[in-house]
Amino acid sequence: MTKRTCVAVSLIWILSPSSGFNPGEFGPDWAVPVAVYAQQPEPVDEFVPIDELPPQDQLPAAPLLIAAYAFVVLALFAYLLSVARRLGRVQRDLERLQAELKRGGLG
Amino acid sequence: MPTWFTPATALCGLMFAVSPFLIANAPYESTMGLVQKIFYVHLPSAWMFLIAAIVCGVASVRFLFRGDARHDRLAWAAAELVVLFGIVTLVTGPLWARKAWGVWWQWDVRLTASLIGWMVSVAYLLLRKYGGPGSDKLAAGLALFGMANVPFIYISVNYWRTIHPTTSVVPTLPTSFGLPLWFSTVTFLLLFVLLLRARVRLEEQRAQLDSLYLSADA
Repeated sequence: MTKRTCVAVSLIWILSPSSGFNPGEFGPDWAVPVAVYAQQPEPVDEFVPIDELPPQDQLPAAPLLIAAYAFVVLALFAYLLSVARRLGRVQRDLERLQAELKRGGLG
Repeated sequence: MPTWFTPATALCGLMFAVSPFLIANAPYESTMGLVQKIFYVHLPSAWMFLIAAIVCGVASVRFLFRGDARHDRLAWAAAELVVLFGIVTLVTGPLWARKAWGVWWQWDVRLTASLIGWMVSVAYLLLRKYGGPGSDKLAAGLALFGMANVPFIYISVNYWRTIHPTTSVVPTLPTSFGLPLWFSTVTFLLLFVLLLRARVRLEEQRAQLDSLYLSADA
């Protein structure tokens, strides 16, 4: 076996998965260019105005924002109203009962 | 009601009137744009949700060990606020996520733990309403689980892989984002205190009504 063949066989063995050799262990420089290239998006052939997108791809933010703020206002207002109504009802019951007790009993 | 209640209510109303102007003048976030402005109600309501769960849990512990009905009334009032601020958080979050993440909901740790915390408080209220005699102690035990969930909700984003922003976002906010956020937070905190006081007042009056009925029967 020549020296060149020995070097080639050694390189094949080192780079094969069974060798356990992991280029990532030797720093980020080994595999990064390949990985970055693989992650690159497809090149753009043309620009598409947003209003020409199909409806399922258009998602304006304003309705979501308005819905969120409207829900907050409605939820807080509904709870305030609920507490005020319950307080008013108990207050009326208290006043009625106190008046009946003053008159001399519930019966 | 205490003497501070009316001026505090007026101040809270004023702050709620001013906060939309601050939020509207805040800059747009670079990647999320307009929808990021949900942040100014989502985060304060989430904080009130967690604070209410802590108040409910602490009051329940004190009720369980001391048997003081005042603590039970505070826990019941706080549990309602957990449900209120919890539903606000759980509705505004998905409305933001739909645009920012492309989905309404993710079963990640923070969202799932928040939902569980909210359901624990709903269970607390159902137990108080339909549980019959002894449900106060059972509900207090349930509130402990709700409180134990709070630190888990808070730190979960730092320990698990999630698309929800981590807790490091708020301390590093520039003033232009921070000012409306903190103003909104103080407004929500004031509202929380006022609602809690009003709700405790309701329970106090109910207790007074019960004692009057008992004295009338005797």
